[in-house]
Amino acid sequence: MTAFDAGLIPILTAGLPEWRKSQMAAAFPVFEALDEPTGVEEDWRYVEYDHQFSDLQAALEPGEALPDGPFLTSVGDTSGHVLIVDGHVVEASSDSLQLARLRDSEEREFGLVAPDHNKLTAAHAAFAADGLFITVPEGTFVEEPLVIEVQGSTPGVASFPHIAVDVGVNAEAQILVVYRSAEGERLLMVPNVDLNIAAGGRLRYLSVQGLDHQASNVIHQRMKLGRDASGRVGEVGLGGDFARLDLAVDLEGDGCSSEVGGLYFGEGSQTLDYRMVINHSGKNTSSDVFLKGAVEDDSQSVFTGLLRIEKDATRTSTFETNRNLVLSENAKANSVPNLEILCDDVVCGHGSSVGPLEEDHLYYMLSRGLSRVRAERLLIRGFFQEVVDRLPVAGLAEPVSAEVFRRFVHAQDEGRVA
Amino acid sequence: MTVALKVDRLSAGVEGKQILNELSIEIPFGEVHAVMGPNGSGKSTLCHVLTGKTGYTVEGAAAVAGEDLFSLDIDERARLGLMQSFQYPTEIPGVRLREFMLEASEERGIDEATAVSRIDEAAQQFNMEPFLERSLNDDLSGGEKKRSEIFQISVLQPKVALLDEIDSGLDIDAVKQVAEAVEQMRSPDLGVLMITHYSRILRYLSPDRIHVMIDGRIVDSGGAELAEELEQGGYDAVRRRLGIEKVVEEAPKQKPSDFFTDTPFDV
Repeated sequence: MTAFDAGLIPILTAGLPEWRKSQMAAAFPVFEALDEPTGVEEDWRYVEYDHQFSDLQAALEPGEALPDGPFLTSVGDTSGHVLIVDGHVVEASSDSLQLARLRDSEEREFGLVAPDHNKLTAAHAAFAADGLFITVPEGTFVEEPLVIEVQGSTPGVASFPHIAVDVGVNAEAQILVVYRSAEGERLLMVPNVDLNIAAGGRLRYLSVQGLDHQASNVIHQRMKLGRDASGRVGEVGLGGDFARLDLAVDLEGDGCSSEVGGLYFGEGSQTLDYRMVINHSGKNTSSDVFLKGAVEDDSQSVFTGLLRIEKDATRTSTFETNRNLVLSENAKANSVPNLEILCDDVVCGHGSSVGPLEEDHLYYMLSRGLSRVRAERLLIRGFFQEVVDRLPVAGLAEPVSAEVFRRFVHAQDEGRVA
Repeated sequence: MTVALKVDRLSAGVEGKQILNELSIEIPFGEVHAVMGPNGSGKSTLCHVLTGKTGYTVEGAAAVAGEDLFSLDIDERARLGLMQSFQYPTEIPGVRLREFMLEASEERGIDEATAVSRIDEAAQQFNMEPFLERSLNDDLSGGEKKRSEIFQISVLQPKVALLDEIDSGLDIDAVKQVAEAVEQMRSPDLGVLMITHYSRILRYLSPDRIHVMIDGRIVDSGGAELAEELEQGGYDAVRRRLGIEKVVEEAPKQKPSDFFTDTPFDV
């Protein structure tokens, strides 16, 4: 393990292709120049982020892979398996998708997000010494999901998992990413995920955030859509002390469409943080954001979602919905939908709500003889059912529902629900 | 022999306003009774107070099959055998009708096989099969909602069914259907108290007894002739016959904007 300073770069770059070496060398000064987030910046409002790179180490070798966890047992046939531990690609195999590691790759852009977006993206740009590039060749239709396990294993480490997916023209694929970390260990993951979908391509992508509650995860994810392309992004946010998904979707091609859907459930002192920008620049594009969350105990959630429609993006249709249940007195949900519309030929809507379980609903259920405990459980399940049913990768509905339900029931049993 | 529902000198108020005044009524098992009254007579309050909605001050007693109601919570009353069909059934997205009925059955200690067969039978009888896997009352028409309420009663088999304005907001065909459904519900183990504002539904079903409720008390009870009198002369005819003065409350001054926000709740 080594500190994040200038001395680290030559150690990390040994054996890497020249193009990547120079990228890292260029990014290091950017990293050094930027301050750690303090909470004052608009991007870091509402949250307490308490990691400092000075307290963290780089993982020069992958730690041990974690024992099997939940979520994957119910996935049927897959088109391949990838294991990334502490940022290192440990295993990568697929019979239908092309998988390449960074060290074997030709020069390419490394991350659609700008290195100077924040201190963490700069760190990623400077210190990510491995990565997985996935290509779905033109015209290929891959029916089963590629499963990618991203694990944080070594305590005290900041790791930079890097995944880039290129969906070729008229190609179609499914990807499932499961993030986990070692039990009880404090560490930081700063993954970067690029989803690049060429004309007519289709991608279904689901990430399950199942980190231990001591670890933090700050994901920067970008999706870019070409003409008539379609991208469905699903998100299940359960783990992490601080877990952020910073997502930007660029609907560049005419006629493309995107859907972002999912759920989160915070407990203990978790912070689950969603920052989204959906940018429409092509004509005739459509997008839908539909995210539901619940917070209990002292946990909090943040949703900021900007729908941006550029001047020439005529006939855009875009919607954004964020619904939150606040289940204990000390829990908090922030929901801030935003619109920025520069074009007048659009259909656009957003909805946001924050509140406890509806008393009307409870009254109705009690009047049918359900105990309050049972009525609340049914309402919780019902609240999430809508989004669980819409997760873009099949087979996850059952374990995800079960985990959400388990959390609520456990809190109820311990009297932690107001 | 115990009666299905016995209400004894029940008084109730909300926010300092007295609504029910020592109201008494008895519904024997196997019978359907209609309680009719003008707006503001306290009909819905009677239902809410019996079901256990919070916010009311309550005096007096009520019992289902001889067991005291007011010492019980809402859900305990329901499990004892009291069930209300709501005037405006709540829409609950994500909770499917079938699972809701299974959970409610389980809570009553009904084994799953019995619950399933009751659900299937009642669904067939009330034409609810298409709604079993859909969210509770979500996107249902007025008539469908009322049918769903009757379906639920028929699955859960309470001892007392309170039907609050089961005919309101329905077109005439739907009223006929609901009336038919109420007749089908009749059972020697059930007492039905049907609350209505209009005598319209009484053309299609024959209650064993009709009660007229004015100013929070039952002022007259009788048979079909009472419905006839109401049909002809309205509540004023009953008032005149019984010498009840009509209390005209000064209408509260409304700002024009209130017109749109004021909901015509019958309290």
